[in-house]
Amino acid sequence: MDASGVFFTHHGRDRALVRTRPQLVSLLAFLVALAVLPLVAGDRWVSLGYTMFIMAIAVIGLQVCTGYAGQVNLGQSAFMGVGAYACALFLHLPQMPLLLALVLGGACAAAFGVLFGLTAARIKGFYLALTTIAAQAIFHFLVLNLPAGWLGGAGGLHLDKLGVLGMSLANDRALYWLCLAVLLVMTAGAFGIVRSRHGRSFQAVRDDDVAAGMMGINVAATKVRAFLVAAFYAGIAGGLWAIALRHVSVEQFTLFNSIWMIAMMIVGGLGSIVGALVGTFLIQMAREGVVSLGPSLVEIFPAAGQGLVFAGMNVLLGTVIVLFLLFEPKGVMHRVNIAKRSYRLWPFPY
Amino acid sequence: MSDFLNYTVNGILLGQVYALLSLGFVVIYRASKVFNFAQGELMLLGAYSVWTLSLGMNLPPLLVIPLAFVAALVYGWLIERLFFRRLLGESVFSMVMVTIGLVILIRGVVLVLWGPIERQFPVLLPTMPIIMGEFLLPTNMVVGAAITLVLTVGLWYFFNRTRFGLTLTAVAEDPNIAISAGIPVRRAVTLAWMMGTCIATVGAVILLNGRSLNVLSADVAMAALPVALLAGLESIGGLLLAGAIVGVIQSLVAAYVDPRIGGAASSIVPYVFMVFILVVRPTGLFGWRHIERV
Repeated sequence: MDASGVFFTHHGRDRALVRTRPQLVSLLAFLVALAVLPLVAGDRWVSLGYTMFIMAIAVIGLQVCTGYAGQVNLGQSAFMGVGAYACALFLHLPQMPLLLALVLGGACAAAFGVLFGLTAARIKGFYLALTTIAAQAIFHFLVLNLPAGWLGGAGGLHLDKLGVLGMSLANDRALYWLCLAVLLVMTAGAFGIVRSRHGRSFQAVRDDDVAAGMMGINVAATKVRAFLVAAFYAGIAGGLWAIALRHVSVEQFTLFNSIWMIAMMIVGGLGSIVGALVGTFLIQMAREGVVSLGPSLVEIFPAAGQGLVFAGMNVLLGTVIVLFLLFEPKGVMHRVNIAKRSYRLWPFPY
Repeated sequence: MSDFLNYTVNGILLGQVYALLSLGFVVIYRASKVFNFAQGELMLLGAYSVWTLSLGMNLPPLLVIPLAFVAALVYGWLIERLFFRRLLGESVFSMVMVTIGLVILIRGVVLVLWGPIERQFPVLLPTMPIIMGEFLLPTNMVVGAAITLVLTVGLWYFFNRTRFGLTLTAVAEDPNIAISAGIPVRRAVTLAWMMGTCIATVGAVILLNGRSLNVLSADVAMAALPVALLAGLESIGGLLLAGAIVGVIQSLVAAYVDPRIGGAASSIVPYVFMVFILVVRPTGLFGWRHIERV
């Protein structure tokens, strides 16, 4: 709902992403604040920042697949791994521009994702989620069992110092800006996808796939497309991950990580791109909080030991997911929208 | 030749244990249409409660088993009471998402209560293999197969021939209509979760007998997934056949393919097989074909 006194005379204006001047101003101010953050904040915050951006890209992809198209995807982490490995391999080629390698990595992940999405032609409902578990297992197996010369086996792949567009990526700030730029592009892309014909067919399939099929939507192709988008986003995130850590190994991409991403999506709100960003921010901050509070907790309860911190994080996260599903299934964004609406309508009830 | 037969027979036995684990998926699916991703974690809870009772409190095995079942009933009831009762009549999607949340939650609870260290699971069944002619059969697997057989027959009878069992199917089909038809839906769903946790406990005792136990033991439930899908998720009797098929495939691959390629192909074969089943015959061998209406 718009603020009082805002009317549009064109359909195009109504559909635009940024529709009013205050929105534009606040968006630009937010982006500038994000961009100058590494100049003022400490190293730890900068590295936390780009980790968050990378995760956010993967979660946006998951949001399109699960939140919009309604396809449960437990393989997002495996898709991310495929992207990371592919990007690292492309970067080993001489004279390979970093951005091209990133996109090619995303494309490889998308191809891997489509492979499992293709089963959607025959499979309905939650069985599709089960093939993504198979994707996870197969990814793990392939990396560990292909000849060690190809993917490095259990040791993983290493990358040398990298640069993009003449800028060295040796320090965290440069990485931060690269990840921020990629996240911006990917977020804009996601908004484009969900507003398009494809996005609307995603939502139709989510709400009722039989009815969607009767309206002339090719349900199986739509599901494949949803997996394609999710895996492409995951692949880009994985490529950035490889670039940021300069080391890729299989244990960075587990089924458990996929579940974390699902948690971020649920907390942010299913069916909302902004929700994916907000959820990633909240969960990563909570994780960071537990990690940094951990040592002092161990001092208070010495019997517990370090393992308790990790365990406590799991309990916290599991509880948060379940509570959100029980009491606020539409996530934080839903609450924010309700608050915004009632603020704009005040003092009238509706 | 005798090697081949040995591998086959052992594969069938392994498959029956997988079938036992998949029974947990099936009973919950039959009563609520929910695919329980946390089945392995339920097994973990069962395993750790058995561990605590036997090695932590030094109780005799004859006392451990019934007490472990009581514990299983309690947390099965708790899970239903805390989470799924509130979701009654909500979409299946959110219930499945809750089971994914439970995966993390239960692992966390297990880590908090029992810690991440690896533990020795008590030996409740004899570890000496049974030798019959040329066959070498691990006792726990034989006992497991026997229990699977008994449980399958019992559950098949319960779900297909008793009045209360049939109401569970109605509950899964549409809980709202089931309520208006006078079916005690809450009791039905509670019972399904209690059965799920009890079956998971039985599976833990048989599978982990004398082995090491840590949080990652839960992953074995994912290995049981192909069995449940091949049988068709709704079919109880079909699990025996599906288990045998998957078990034999895995055991033969482990025996003949793994040494050649020097890798764990046997761990991946069930998944590849699962994708294959899903593509060729999504309803499995004995699953129900649903007629959908808008």
